[in-house]
Amino acid sequence: MGIKIGDKPYAERIQAGIENSFMRQAVSSAQGRFRSGRLKAAEELGDWEDWRTLGEEIRHHTMENLDYYLHQLSEQVEKRGGTVFFAETAEEANAYVQEVAKKKQARKVVKSKSMVTEEIGLNEALEKSGCEVVESDLGEWILQLDEDPPSHIVTPALHKNKEQIRETFANKKGYTKTDQPEELAAFAREQLRKDFLEADLGVTGCNFAVAESGAVTLVTNEGNARMVTSLPDTHIAVMGMERVVPTWEELEVVVSLLTRAAVGQKLTSYITALTGTRLEDETDGPEDFHLVIVDNGRLKILGTEFQSALHCIRCAACINACPVYRHVGGHSYGSIYPGPIGAVLTPLLDGYEDHKDLPYASTLCAACTEACPVKIPLHEHLIRHREIIVEREQRGAKSEEWMMKGFAKWASTPAAYKMSTKMARTAMKPWTKDEQIEKGPGPLKGWTESRDFPAPAKKNFREWYKQREKRRGEA
Amino acid sequence: MKVSLFITCLCDTFTPDVGKDTVQLLERYGCDVDFPANQTCCGQPAFNSGYKQEAIKAMKQMIRAFEASQYVVGPSGSCVQMIKEYPHALKDEPEWRERAQAVAEKTYELTQFLVEVLHVEDVKSTFQGTATYHPSCHMTRLLGVKDAPRILLENVEGLHLIELPMKEDCCGFGGTFAVKNAAVSGQMVDEKAQHIDETGAEYLIGGDMGCLMNMGGCMSRNKQDVKVLHIAQVLNSQ
Amino acid sequence: MTVHNRTSFLDRVAENLGRERRTEVQAPVYSVQPQDRVFQGATQDELIEKLEAQCSVIHTSFDRTTRAALGDSLQKVLASFEGSRKVISAGGPRLDEFGLPGIYDELREEGFDFRIWNDQEGDVTFAEQAGVGIVFSDITLAESGTVTLFNDKHNGRSISLLPETFIAIIPKSTLVPRMTQAARVIHEQEQKGNPVSSCVSFITGPSNSADIEMNLIVGVHGPVKAAYILVEDL
Repeated sequence: MGIKIGDKPYAERIQAGIENSFMRQAVSSAQGRFRSGRLKAAEELGDWEDWRTLGEEIRHHTMENLDYYLHQLSEQVEKRGGTVFFAETAEEANAYVQEVAKKKQARKVVKSKSMVTEEIGLNEALEKSGCEVVESDLGEWILQLDEDPPSHIVTPALHKNKEQIRETFANKKGYTKTDQPEELAAFAREQLRKDFLEADLGVTGCNFAVAESGAVTLVTNEGNARMVTSLPDTHIAVMGMERVVPTWEELEVVVSLLTRAAVGQKLTSYITALTGTRLEDETDGPEDFHLVIVDNGRLKILGTEFQSALHCIRCAACINACPVYRHVGGHSYGSIYPGPIGAVLTPLLDGYEDHKDLPYASTLCAACTEACPVKIPLHEHLIRHREIIVEREQRGAKSEEWMMKGFAKWASTPAAYKMSTKMARTAMKPWTKDEQIEKGPGPLKGWTESRDFPAPAKKNFREWYKQREKRRGEA
Repeated sequence: MKVSLFITCLCDTFTPDVGKDTVQLLERYGCDVDFPANQTCCGQPAFNSGYKQEAIKAMKQMIRAFEASQYVVGPSGSCVQMIKEYPHALKDEPEWRERAQAVAEKTYELTQFLVEVLHVEDVKSTFQGTATYHPSCHMTRLLGVKDAPRILLENVEGLHLIELPMKEDCCGFGGTFAVKNAAVSGQMVDEKAQHIDETGAEYLIGGDMGCLMNMGGCMSRNKQDVKVLHIAQVLNSQ
Repeated sequence: MTVHNRTSFLDRVAENLGRERRTEVQAPVYSVQPQDRVFQGATQDELIEKLEAQCSVIHTSFDRTTRAALGDSLQKVLASFEGSRKVISAGGPRLDEFGLPGIYDELREEGFDFRIWNDQEGDVTFAEQAGVGIVFSDITLAESGTVTLFNDKHNGRSISLLPETFIAIIPKSTLVPRMTQAARVIHEQEQKGNPVSSCVSFITGPSNSADIEMNLIVGVHGPVKAAYILVEDL
């Protein structure tokens, strides 16, 4: 699939989002639940700010020493019988996985939810080499059956309702029962159990890898990732290169931050730490283990002012806090990474060409920055992106550039500023009715499509002040 | 205590009454208020749109206008926060950075100044009516002024405050966002207006003219019978 | 070769960070340690209270019993579940320590079919058909209601995963405040050169999902029901 989803331009995507009232209702209620869960979990701890500080320090230290920790990680995985492949590009990563699949003569591949494999388009690659790929996370399975991209990084099928899901199951899998979530889930359990038992290859992502021991950790609730890593003979874990932590002591902190910030759980049902292959005297678990460490655009973020974007632990707290996301939904971002972190990360990973509108999809209200459990200054990154788009990339609209040049002149020339505030009322007169402007000209057009704009005051403040001073002088 | 009023371009042009109330409030507490006439706009519209070089021109004008002041006080959390950004924005020009730092350090939002500097928690004002308060994003999250407006409003005689549902959510203003992403902004402010409606309040009070113009404009279009007031207007009401 | 492309990849990492490759890093000292404050100084009994309270949050039944009464408790819990009477149990030294072979024999007479995980062909197949899986918690986290399993030859991954019902026997001595203490044990063992088990499972109640309209569904791919039995062993 890749990072980019769909070819529709930004404005069309946004409009489609706004018009999708079911999706908006679903997103809004989900956000409400996510938020209250997160806030309650933070409150229970009582010292959430300390946790955030610790999270930030851990992530910062790790990024600053990333070469060391990735080296240690790969040594440990090797020691435990695993193979490690460092992939610079999506193509390299996919080719390696295809090669393993071929060697294993794998027919069926079961996967647990992983954003990085979405990002590199691994499913398509495996299908191309003749494998049947089954997504086993409930949300991902729904999307796979429906050939729909994810709209949220934690609950990917957030935009769908149970009736749509029932229909998908009925059309694609012959489901005959009701749209009760329990019945739908039971059907998925029964259908996918067969796939787990038959699969030759299990593919997972990696929430965090522990450098000191080589453990790949998966944070889940459904149990599918445990199936994927217990039953097939081969396990391939794919991780973004930034998803490493130094030791188990740091692991538990970032896991605690993740589960609390994501869903308000103290821990999810399953935190599973897998190290290498199964031991010789063990019965279940893979006999062959591969870890694919992916760059795919991350490396060039290191050492830049955007480095802290690599601190992200993919909890989606910023997405759940974002009022823009609430009104437009995940697909409007045109990226598998939506919301504030998506607006920061997507142009970094995939360039400005296709994603130059994303940094503007924010009011800079900083709800994202406040929600982030590892203190990524998301709204500041968005402003910095805008600067780059305007100044380095020269991608600002000409009309806007012209307006801003005018602004600079106006705001740095007191006489011009004074004159304009004095003249504003007269200038707006043609559009003013009862002290309101209902259909504004130029840049005000969009504003006044949904709300009124006030008429400038009869006498501005500085005139009042000048007259007051004069009166005082005379008195 | 000498205080320079930082009026903000919106209050100057659209709501001069807010400026008058701010001046009178400060004078009531013994401040000697002046108005540096060479002030313009803080530069935020350009800065937040990515036009940093253009914004810097506005910043330098503002620094020049306020350099001589003892304190700078403005009736806007967002514009005051912009001034706090100056040293960072000017980090590549050491001389200007230093001058920016000096101005930033003495600049306060009005309620913040009343509570933190003047140590006033009760301005002895009277205002009859029910109202709901919208805490603006930049004032609360970036400037960190969360308690001062609440403390001051709670002490206003006759004022009955009703909590605004989802009050911490952005109203959708976002400066140029309201123009560039007008449709999304419109949806956001609609939701906010609905929450205001749910409170049944007669008045909406806020501390930032940009947000108030946005919410007020939406309620005016919706024919909602809610009057919009800047917090300075309530605090200076007798 | 089992590690591919490492040198070039990590050289570029170092280059972007603007320095030479690092072959040594001092263990970091962090400015705050909030994780140590959770339930600091709590007694074992206070931790049990926390655990019990958390069990209601995670849809898990909680029983407290003694070694002598473990058989009765287990029978009671098993009787409350319907479905397959096949039971797969973890093996190892604690089986004998808690007298389980005798208890299992008694339950066999009531029609239960017990199999002890013993590292053989058929373990997984049996687990797949079993209605119940029984494990011993190695470290129990009071805050989150989590049992930690160091999976090994006596304690297969499938036991706590494939059957519809999951029972964890929790020796009181295994109770700690939170994940911090479990992680510390593993970290210290790593430093002593004792490698961690191939699979460490932190399990908190039954499996669940909120993927359909954010409705919490208890029981998806893993167990649908979970029961904890805390045994006094101190």
